[in-house]
Amino acid sequence: MGLRGTYRERTVEYKVPKNLTFPYVFGVLALITFALQIISGTILVMYYKPVITHAFDSVNYTIMKEIDFGWLFRHIHAAGANFFLAIVYLHMFTGIYYNAYKKPRELVWIVGWLIYFTLLVTALTGYLLPWGQLSYWGTVVITEIPTSLADAPILKDFFGAIGETISMWMKGGYRLEDLALGRFFGLHVILLPLLLLGLVSIHLFLVRAAGISNPEGYEIDKEKEPEKVVPFHPYVTLKEGAIAMWYLALFFFFVFFYMHHFLPPDNFEPADPLKTPPHIAPEWYLLGFYEVFRSIPSKFWGFVAFNLILLLLLLLPFLDFSPIKSARRRPLFFVMFVVFVISCMALTILGTMSPTPTNAKLGMFFTALVFLFFLSLPVISVIEWGWYKTKGGQA
Amino acid sequence: MSTGGMVKAIFFTLLTLGFFFVIWIKNPFAHKEVYEVPEEVAGIIWDPKAVSEGRELFIQTCSSCHSVRYDGLYLLSLEAKPEWKKILRTMGKPIFEEREGKLRIKGYYLPRDVYETVAFQDLENLKASFGKVPPDLSTIYLARGPGYLYQFIMDPQKVLPGTFMPKLFLPEYDKEAPEKVAKIVAYLRSVSEPPPSEKVKRTVMGAVTVGYFLLMGFVLWFYRRRLLERMGLH
Ligand code: HEC
Ligand code: HEM
Repeated sequence: MGLRGTYRERTVEYKVPKNLTFPYVFGVLALITFALQIISGTILVMYYKPVITHAFDSVNYTIMKEIDFGWLFRHIHAAGANFFLAIVYLHMFTGIYYNAYKKPRELVWIVGWLIYFTLLVTALTGYLLPWGQLSYWGTVVITEIPTSLADAPILKDFFGAIGETISMWMKGGYRLEDLALGRFFGLHVILLPLLLLGLVSIHLFLVRAAGISNPEGYEIDKEKEPEKVVPFHPYVTLKEGAIAMWYLALFFFFVFFYMHHFLPPDNFEPADPLKTPPHIAPEWYLLGFYEVFRSIPSKFWGFVAFNLILLLLLLLPFLDFSPIKSARRRPLFFVMFVVFVISCMALTILGTMSPTPTNAKLGMFFTALVFLFFLSLPVISVIEWGWYKTKGGQA
Repeated sequence: MSTGGMVKAIFFTLLTLGFFFVIWIKNPFAHKEVYEVPEEVAGIIWDPKAVSEGRELFIQTCSSCHSVRYDGLYLLSLEAKPEWKKILRTMGKPIFEEREGKLRIKGYYLPRDVYETVAFQDLENLKASFGKVPPDLSTIYLARGPGYLYQFIMDPQKVLPGTFMPKLFLPEYDKEAPEKVAKIVAYLRSVSEPPPSEKVKRTVMGAVTVGYFLLMGFVLWFYRRRLLERMGLH
C-alpha cells in the first residue's frame, strides 16, 4: 500500500463527525504546546546548572543575558508551562461537558488523567529549577503538605510517620538543598517528559481506536449515516490548523510582550532560606487544590479532601453511569456542570487572596459544591436510567 | 446554531476569558502594594543617557556594601587585594560593551561560589556591621520594580522599617538627591533590561512572529473554504 496509501487511509478516508464544536480543538493545541516545551526545554537544559550556587545565575545570567536568544527560549518555556496547563484544563472540562469519558472511552479518560497528574508534577519540579524566592518557598509549602497527615484524628503516629516520610522523600532531607534540586532536575528533564511522551502516545492511540465523541452524545454509525461524517483531511486538519496558528499568535504575543505573570518579579530574587517572603502561594494551576486544603480547619481533612477530588476526577466514568451522553441532552447534568466550573474558578481565585475567615468560609462553601457535583452524578444517573427505560431503552 | 446553543457558547467563552484575565493579567481580588515613581524623575529612569552617570554614582555611594555581579561591579574593599585583578581575569568571564562601534571589556562576571570565597572576609565584615550581607543587586530591578527602588533608596526606613540599609541621600541638604537616586535606578534598570537597540529588535521580532501566525491562520482558513466548496462539502 505504501506511504501514500497509509496517508490516504489515515487522513482522507478517516471520517469524523461533522458537528464537532470549537472546544474539540484543545487536544491538538495541547499537543502543539507539548512540542514547544520539548524544544525550548532541550535548549534550556544545555545551559542550566542544577547546583544551588549556580542555578539562579545559570538561568538569569547565562540564559537571559549571555546566550543569544536564551531569553526567547526561557520565555517560551515559562509561558508554555502555563499555557499547557490552561489548555489541558480546558480540554478536561470539554471532556466532562460532552461526557467523553463514558463507554467506550473510559480508558481514554483514565490515561488523560494520568497525563494531567504527570503534568502537574512536571510543572512543580520545573518551578524549583530557577532557584528564586518563589521557586524555593513555593516548593517548601508543597513539600510540607504531606506532614499535615500528622493531624489525623486516629493513629496519629502512624499517619504522621507516613506524612513525614513522603515529605522527606520529596525534599531529599530536612531542608531543600542540592539533593532536592538534583532530584527535581532529573525528574523534570528526563523521567517525566518521557513518561508524558509515552502517555500521550497511548492517549492518542486510544482516541483513534474509540473514535471521536460527539457533541450530540450519540455514536455515529459511519457506514449508515455517511451524511453526518466528513473526511478528517482536509475538513478538520485545515480548520484546526487555522485555529492552531491563531493560538500560536496569542502565545507568542505573551512570549514577546507580556511575561509579567509567567516570570513573576519575586522569582528574580535568589532563594534565601532565612527570609520568608510575605505572600507565598503555589502556581495558579494548583491554587484550587491549595484553597481546598487551606480553607478546611483540620489539616488532615484538608489533605484528604483535595486528594479525594483528584481521585473522584479519575473515577468520573464510573460515578456517572447514565447511558445518556453530553450535557446538551442532560439538563440536570448541565446545571451541575455549571456549578462545578464556577466552583473550580472561585476556588482558584480565592487561592490568590489572603486567608481571612470570610475567605475560608467561602472556600469551604465552594469545596462543598465541588463534592456536590461529583456526588450528584450517581443520583442523576439513576434518574436518567428511569427516563431511558420509559423511552424504551433509547438514549 | 440554535439560540440556546449560542447563549451557552457565549456564556462559557466569557467565563473562561474572565477567569484567565483575573488569573494572568489583572487580579482585582488580590491586594498588592504599589510604589509610584514621582513624575519629576520618571524621565530619568528610562533615559539611556542617565545610565553611565548612574553607574558612577553607584560605584561611589553603594559599592562599599553592594555588588552587581552581572555588571562586573564588586565590593570596593576587594580592589585593595593584590590578587583581585588576576582572579577576575582568570576565573571570570568578560562582559562586553559596545562603545563607538567597538567592543570593549566592561568588567568580569565571577561565578557566585568563586566570588563568595574570595570576598569571604569582606562579606563577613559587612554581616558583622549590618546583621546581614547586603544583597547583590544584579536582578533587584526585576524583583522590585522602579517605584520601590526609588522610594527605598530615598528613604529605606520608610519602605522597610527596621532595615539596616542607611539613608544615603538627604534631600534636605542635597537638592539633586532625587535626580541622583533616579540615575542609580536607571543604572539598575540597564543591568536587568536589554539595551535599547536590542529591545527594538525584540519588539520587531515579536510583531513579525505574531503577525506571521495571524496571517497563516487566515490563509489556511480561506484555503479551506475554497477547497470545501469545490468538494461540495460546505
Ligand atoms: C552601609 C552599607 C550600605 C550601603 C552604602 C548601601 N546599602 Fe543598600 N543595603 C544595605 C543592607 C544592610 C541591606 C539589607 C537590608 C535589609 O534586608 O534589611 C541593603 C539592601 C538594599 C536593597 C534591597 C532592599 C530590599 O527590598 O530587599 C537595595 C535595592 C539597596 N540596598 C540599594 C542600595 C543602593 C542603590 C545603594 C547606593 C545608593 C545602597 N544600597 C547603599 C546596606 C547598604
Ligand atoms: C512537558 C512539559 C513541561 C512543563 C509543564 C515544564 C515546566 C517548567 C516550568 C514551570 C519551569 C520554570 C520556568 C521558569 O520560571 O523559568 C521549567 C523550567 C525548566 N525546564 Fe521545563 N517543563 C516541561 C518540559 C521540559 C523538558 C522536556 C525539558 C528538557 C529536556 C525541560 C527543561 C527545563 C529546564 C532546564 C528548566 C530551568 C530553566 C528555567 O527555569 O528557565 N522542561 N519547566
